[in-house]
Amino acid sequence: MTSFSADERQLLDESLQNFLSEKYGFERWQQRSGPSGDQYGSNEWRQFADLGWLGVAIPEEFGGTGGGLTELAIVMAAAGRHMVLEGLLGTVVLGAGAIELAGTQAQKGDLLPKIAAGELRLAFCHSEQDAGYARDYVTTIARPVDGGYALEGRKAFTLGAQAADLLVVSARVGAADGPVGLFLVPRETDGVSLNIAPALDARLGAEVRLSARVPGSTLLGRADVDRTASIDHLIDRAAIAVCAEACGAMAEATQNTIEYLKVREQFGQPLAKFQVLQHRLVDMSLACEEARAIVHAALEALDVGAASAQRTVWQAKVQTAQSARFVGTQSLQLHGGIGMTDELKAGHLYKRLCVCEAMFGDADWYLKKLSQTLPEHIRARTQDDRMKPPEVA
Amino acid sequence: MFIRSVGSDNRLNAFREEVRQFCREKIPAEIRRKQEKSQHLDKAEYDAWLKLLGEKGWLTGKWPKEYGGLGWEPEQFLVFEEELGKAGAPPLINFGINLAGPVIFTFGNDEQKKKYLADIAKNNTWWCQGYSEPGAGSDLASLKSRAVRDGDHYVVNGQKTWTSWAHWADMIFVLVRTDATVKKQAGISFLLIDMNTPGITVRPIIGITRHHHLNEVFFDNVRVPVENRIGEENQGWTYAKFLLANERLHSLSFAKFEAYLAKIRKALDVVKDGGRPLSEDPTYRRKLAELDVRMATAKALMADQLAAARTTGSPPMMGAAALKLRGTELQQSILQMGLEVLGRNGPVYQDLALEQNWDGEFVGPDVSAGLIYEHLYRRAATIYSGSNEVQRNIIAKGALGL
Ligand SMILES: Cc1cc2nc3c(=O)[nH]c(=O)nc-3n(C[C@H](O)[C@H](O)[C@H](O)COP(=O)(O)OP(=O)(O)OC[C@H]3O[C@@H](n4cnc5c(N)ncnc54)[C@H](O)[C@@H]3O)c2cc1C
Repeated sequence: MTSFSADERQLLDESLQNFLSEKYGFERWQQRSGPSGDQYGSNEWRQFADLGWLGVAIPEEFGGTGGGLTELAIVMAAAGRHMVLEGLLGTVVLGAGAIELAGTQAQKGDLLPKIAAGELRLAFCHSEQDAGYARDYVTTIARPVDGGYALEGRKAFTLGAQAADLLVVSARVGAADGPVGLFLVPRETDGVSLNIAPALDARLGAEVRLSARVPGSTLLGRADVDRTASIDHLIDRAAIAVCAEACGAMAEATQNTIEYLKVREQFGQPLAKFQVLQHRLVDMSLACEEARAIVHAALEALDVGAASAQRTVWQAKVQTAQSARFVGTQSLQLHGGIGMTDELKAGHLYKRLCVCEAMFGDADWYLKKLSQTLPEHIRARTQDDRMKPPEVA
Repeated sequence: MFIRSVGSDNRLNAFREEVRQFCREKIPAEIRRKQEKSQHLDKAEYDAWLKLLGEKGWLTGKWPKEYGGLGWEPEQFLVFEEELGKAGAPPLINFGINLAGPVIFTFGNDEQKKKYLADIAKNNTWWCQGYSEPGAGSDLASLKSRAVRDGDHYVVNGQKTWTSWAHWADMIFVLVRTDATVKKQAGISFLLIDMNTPGITVRPIIGITRHHHLNEVFFDNVRVPVENRIGEENQGWTYAKFLLANERLHSLSFAKFEAYLAKIRKALDVVKDGGRPLSEDPTYRRKLAELDVRMATAKALMADQLAAARTTGSPPMMGAAALKLRGTELQQSILQMGLEVLGRNGPVYQDLALEQNWDGEFVGPDVSAGLIYEHLYRRAATIYSGSNEVQRNIIAKGALGL
């Protein structure tokens, strides 16, 4: 449950918008986003911490301000709007989340305050090459050895892994059918190698190969607890955080397109005067509103721990992916040639939206999950159902 | 309805076989290797391949025989293009063959035909298209670059933009304003300009692909001989529209679509979900089936429109615009599916892998950089050659009389 009032949320949002529009402008973004640019600006990161964004969802006893997922979503939406390059998701949503869910009291006391203070950056290296979006597919193994574990495996491309201090690595403890544990592996460990690459939206990340020995203290919590359910929950939280990010990016893309069509003249009038383009802008705005509304519903469902929360998250990811695609492609289309250049925010927002659409599962994947778990009242009746005696009210 | 035959022509089978064999034997190994990796070709590599086609006469297969062409019917060109695509030949980027040439042999004088056509046919000259300006995109006729008569020269000032491959070009054809006092369409002339003329500056524009192929072209007191004008002064809009109709027809290349699909199928085998390849997933099979239906429909539409053109003598108005619309929409849907498949891999976009000397390691399937490059680049397919909104306006006015 969150401890933020509406006023406090408003203040948080204002601090984000003020700082990011002043200090995180597009020109600076362009300088920093190249492959050799300083994408994980240590300066920026410290300021994010000072402004209280990094500890927003960390409990007060561990140096945070005790907000919930809704507060994180406010941060992520601003990050989407301004295309923040740093790994907020990996550190604040997934990294801190993993420690909170699986860590011992001592681990929480040691690590969470450092995250809130901007001293520790994390990346969540769970997915594997052959996993795709499946959340329970783990083949990396952690074999107990003297004083710790030998980690063997390969983790799929993870944004921000190249700059993280600690990688949160999932691995089966003991054997291929062992419980899934979460390990905090320092990136600089011998036997951890990274293949760094840019994502579509220019943010860097890395594929991670592990053939490393780590001390027992790197395991979060106890060795005999299977973390599959926690990971599932964490990915739901991350998925909705990415939806919030997409909501920010699509609102920005829509607003920029509206502004552009008001000033771009062809045929002796602003393009915004053409009714067919007005309708397109209306549909883009509606797509933004729809995504925002269902993401909001999912955030509140998660924050109060509603039984239907997971379904709502999945529904929100589907809608957000569809909205993102419509808004992204139409924003490019309506900008014409200028939208196809690297010089305008439109193209970069499009690419960011493509990444958001894919992360943690696209619309097709969630629709499949939803169709496999339809609640009884909306399911088509099967042969078995028809054999059942009618229910008596 | 259903009157004209639209069946395929078996007489082209021998030709098809000939193209296949030519490609097997003649595509240089290095080009083939780069094409497989979707790596960018440099100008010399394009030239080498296009020259081979030029020697064979195929580059200008569609041109009338009197201008050095082979007088192919559109069907024969389609077979040609399809086989090039299947063989992994480089794309036919050619503003000379498809755009400048036909304008010159249709509206140019004998001197101009003699001077330019042979070099275009042999690929001795690269051409680029100087139509769009910062203020004149969809409303092309509002262009502002002007040409002022000075003896037997025009003095050209102004700016063109989005000029594809201008940095490689020897020649540019431009629309310029020669009379600012009349209705905007009535004061335009069509000039052919040597890119080496003093006063021309080309500046690169980097695309969302992070690659350079677009440019701005600036004209600062560029002196152009009056003999480089096509047709009459102030009649340029007529020639410009003729060229645009050709351009629209060329924006559709089924061979390219097949090549994308081949890469997507490759990715479907490699990319997995929960340990199973996506090729086994009914969702993606259904998508392939849907794209296949749309491809079959687009091909049928093309055949139908060509049959109509044969009987009436000119390409129907609806035809070119309809094919451009549906063709580019289909192209983007195919490339959208590509991105969906690669989404499980980040999606990572290793654009540097498309450069010649890249020696890095792929993250994910090796087809991904090429597919994502095309995905990004072809977001422009619904913008260039007359945006799809403009095509709808054309159909609304021209075909439906609204
Ligand atoms: C990759 C690429 C390559 C290109 N290559 C060349 C080249 O080699 N040579 C060259 O000369 N040009 C080239 N172009 C330019 C291209 O022809 C123009 O981009 C195109 O004509 C659109 O003009 P614009 O970009 O100014 O968009 P605008 O005309 O400003 O249009 C912006 C948006 O408004 C819409 N719109 C405009 N008018 C209307 C209307 N009346 N009704 C409804 N909607 C409308 C458009 O459809 C578009 O979606 C290229 C463009 C791209 C992107």
